[in-house]
Amino acid sequence: MTKIEAIIQVSKLESVKNSLHEIGIEGMTVLEARGHGRQKGHTEFYRGREYTVDLIPKIKLELVVADTMVEKVVQAISTAARTGKIGDGKIFLSHVDEIIRIRNDERGEDAL
Amino acid sequence: MTTAGSLSSELRDLYAVESARIRDEFATSGNGRAAISQRNILVERIGLHLWRDIFSEEQGPQKFALIALGGFGRGWLFPHSDIDLLFLHADHETEDAFKDRVRSFSQGLWDLRLKVSPATRVLRECDRFDPANVEFVISLLDCRYLAGDRDLFARLHDKFIPNLMIAETQPLVQRLADVTRKRHEKFGNTIFHLEPDVKDTPGGLRDCNVSLWLSLLSSMEKLHDWPDPKSLLSTSARKQFEPAVDFLMSVRCFLHLRYGRDDNMLSWEAQEEAARRGIGVYDGRELPAADWMRIYFGHARSVHRTATQLLEEIPAAWSSLSRHFHNLRARVSDADFSVVDGLVFLRQSSALQDPEVLLRLFHFVAHHDVRLSTTTEYKIEQVLPSLAATPPRGAELWLYLGEILTQPYAAHALRAMHSLRLLTVLLPELKAIDSLVVRDFYHRFTVDEHSFLAIESLHRLRQSHSEWEKQYAEILEELEQPELLYLSLLLHDTGKGAPSENHVEGSLAIAGECLERLDLESSERETVLFLIGNHLEMSAALRRDIFDSVTVAAFADKVGTPERLKMLCLFTYADIKAVNPEALTPWKAENVWQLYIATANQLNRSADQRLHSGADLDDEKVSRLHVLAPGAGKKVKAFLEGLPQRYLRTYAANEVLHHLEMSESPGKHPIQLDLKRGRHWFELTLVTNDRPFLFGKVAGTLAAWGMNIVKATAFSNQAGTVVDTFYFTDRFRTLELNLSEWERFKRGVSDVLTGEADLERMLKSRMQAEERKNTPKVKIKTSIEFDEKCSSNSTLVQVVTQDRPGLLYTIASCFSHHECNIEIALIDTEGQMAIDVFYLTAHRKKLAGDHLKEVETALGEALRSGHSQGPPSTLKPVSR
Repeated sequence: MTKIEAIIQVSKLESVKNSLHEIGIEGMTVLEARGHGRQKGHTEFYRGREYTVDLIPKIKLELVVADTMVEKVVQAISTAARTGKIGDGKIFLSHVDEIIRIRNDERGEDAL
Repeated sequence: MTTAGSLSSELRDLYAVESARIRDEFATSGNGRAAISQRNILVERIGLHLWRDIFSEEQGPQKFALIALGGFGRGWLFPHSDIDLLFLHADHETEDAFKDRVRSFSQGLWDLRLKVSPATRVLRECDRFDPANVEFVISLLDCRYLAGDRDLFARLHDKFIPNLMIAETQPLVQRLADVTRKRHEKFGNTIFHLEPDVKDTPGGLRDCNVSLWLSLLSSMEKLHDWPDPKSLLSTSARKQFEPAVDFLMSVRCFLHLRYGRDDNMLSWEAQEEAARRGIGVYDGRELPAADWMRIYFGHARSVHRTATQLLEEIPAAWSSLSRHFHNLRARVSDADFSVVDGLVFLRQSSALQDPEVLLRLFHFVAHHDVRLSTTTEYKIEQVLPSLAATPPRGAELWLYLGEILTQPYAAHALRAMHSLRLLTVLLPELKAIDSLVVRDFYHRFTVDEHSFLAIESLHRLRQSHSEWEKQYAEILEELEQPELLYLSLLLHDTGKGAPSENHVEGSLAIAGECLERLDLESSERETVLFLIGNHLEMSAALRRDIFDSVTVAAFADKVGTPERLKMLCLFTYADIKAVNPEALTPWKAENVWQLYIATANQLNRSADQRLHSGADLDDEKVSRLHVLAPGAGKKVKAFLEGLPQRYLRTYAANEVLHHLEMSESPGKHPIQLDLKRGRHWFELTLVTNDRPFLFGKVAGTLAAWGMNIVKATAFSNQAGTVVDTFYFTDRFRTLELNLSEWERFKRGVSDVLTGEADLERMLKSRMQAEERKNTPKVKIKTSIEFDEKCSSNSTLVQVVTQDRPGLLYTIASCFSHHECNIEIALIDTEGQMAIDVFYLTAHRKKLAGDHLKEVETALGEALRSGHSQGPPSTLKPVSR
């Protein structure tokens, strides 16, 4: 099983969710996040004051899927989240040893 | 003694059979009070069986007694409640002697799976108040004899408890009040939770107990004895309190049986089932869940009212600190209302026959954070039927309602009005959302409470210490008509109670009728409907890239003016914050603020987008102009040609028509002036042909009269007609106190513009007087920003500096001296900070490189020195 963490633009959340639903992925965790990679911050002046946003608002998606689904999910996320500009985000993959459903102790892929 | 095993099995069978019988009877009757009473009898019967078996006699042994406490003592034993027991010993000897048998007794109950909470005390330990265990002392108030030494119990009940309660009434009541207030706070001080806990949420069973305990303690202190339980609450309070307790008992019983445990959460699923079974409803009929919940909230409201009134009245009577605080509040008493111990009383009991007094009463509450006394509430209830027959309406109602909404404790007053059913008499539009539960996984409160909370969260901004909340507080203070924002918040979700699928559309329709009835001016109606209609737009924009100029431009286009932007920003803040305490994360709050400032800048930088016949003139406002003046289509078009789009968004349709009328006054004075007094400031509108130094001269004249310009706008059309409006405060009350001065003032402006009066001389004497007393409290650093890119025709200059008399004149005269024409001016003041934006041209073009530098240097110098150069002796005509 693989944990997929994707940092995406806030505006792309709906389309990424829809794409994941289309390939049968319904469970995910969505987190409000801030950060930047090569995309630098943003400065706005308002009434003589400078407002600098070093860390840009982003959305972080977390989901764990069976290994057979990983490529499909990555494809769905990157296609839906891509604008081709700096700031589109990144996808991180990591191996998951075990999953336990708290309600009934189911384990492994049954708990997904 | 029976063998332990056989008794245990006998009692287990008895408990199982009887519990099943009670459950079945409840399923048929839905009578919670009967069910808990029967369970009380059952548990007592089992306990006595065990007692007789272990101690061989029911009324023995001597010097030792078994006592029921808490809910069991009170006779309120819900299906899965704990069973509170006290093993009372006369001295430590019996405590040692019966230790093993007490353990066997408790073990016997536990083996039957009864949840026992036992406490052991020696009698003399029961006359001490332990602040760390106030729960035990309070539980003694519900003590009831079960078995053992009856005399020992009598000593506890008749002597020790009254002595302890009388000696410690004040700290006990204070502690009980503190614990209750903390619990209420945990639930946001509201009964209106979508999934309430019927025990702990305000208005739940715990509040029933608190009310009874407070009354009991208060009576005990007066009587020095146990009072008659029936005398604990007033007859009028009991009328609503007792049916509410019956209802809550049935609901809690239902929940325990449904969940099979002590779980008191009235979840959505439980609401559905309770409504289907008509739990607690008189005839047990099936109801829609939303209607059943309205019954729940009605009862919770009665309990909450009783508990909060007692919390306010009783501790206040004893606590010196509280008394001192209330005495401070007593000073706010006026000719109509007196405040005693934080409660409002009417000076004349018949005064409420006059609806104005009634509305003033709630204005008083909203202003001073005081509660209505029980007698005042009773008086209001008495006048409600006659008020409902002919409720106040129109401008009279709006005048008071608007005032109430802007007071710091408006939400508190609205809740009091709502609880007494007065609010829905005044605004029947709110009936549909009264206690309305709308199910989603986001909102925590009913629709009406959500609206009150939104209003409250804006008022609370003023006390906020958080940096980002202070930013919101600043723009709240700048609003010209905050009452419109509050009214929008009150009405924004009324559509949720309507059959319409889209609640925004439903709310717009309902609000439209309400605004009509309140007789708001057309521009005010437009603002309220704009806010309601667009109240989800800012949240929607947050789901886009808020740093993308296209997103910002589209949002700015939708909003139109800075004033509406401020209102919508505050609306969004309040609406999200009132959803649930965690909904407005710092992440969201910062994003809302970033979108706000980006849009505010965008609005200033796009102010010179001009209207041209064809595309732009299809605007909704233009259509409205045609409706208002059907015969003036061509004239309207010609007047609007070349005016900035911002102009149409700044003025209401009737104002535009008035400007048109002023511009075409043949044979009249070439300078048309209109002076009005608004709520916050005076408003001078000038319509004339453009001429050099026009804006600066008007600004100078106002400064010379001692007026403080807080805002100004200047627009011109292609034909060279100028519409300038100055909003100013009358610092010396010249116009306010002397109506005859209005004409002299207007003539003064006109004479300066035509050169008949000497502006320099007028200003000189005023400035000398100002310089002596003008010491700024806050120092504002001056910043001048030139932007050549944001407009295709003009150079934008934004000046942020210390506000001072004559500032606008200084800036405008500097521009005129350097042959700059002010195409658009957007002048704003925030406290002591002036924020002025100008769109400048020279010879119909943007300022060129050297010229721009020259203007920048001169402006910097003028602002540093504070001296204006005055109008030049010879003026060149404006080139267009």
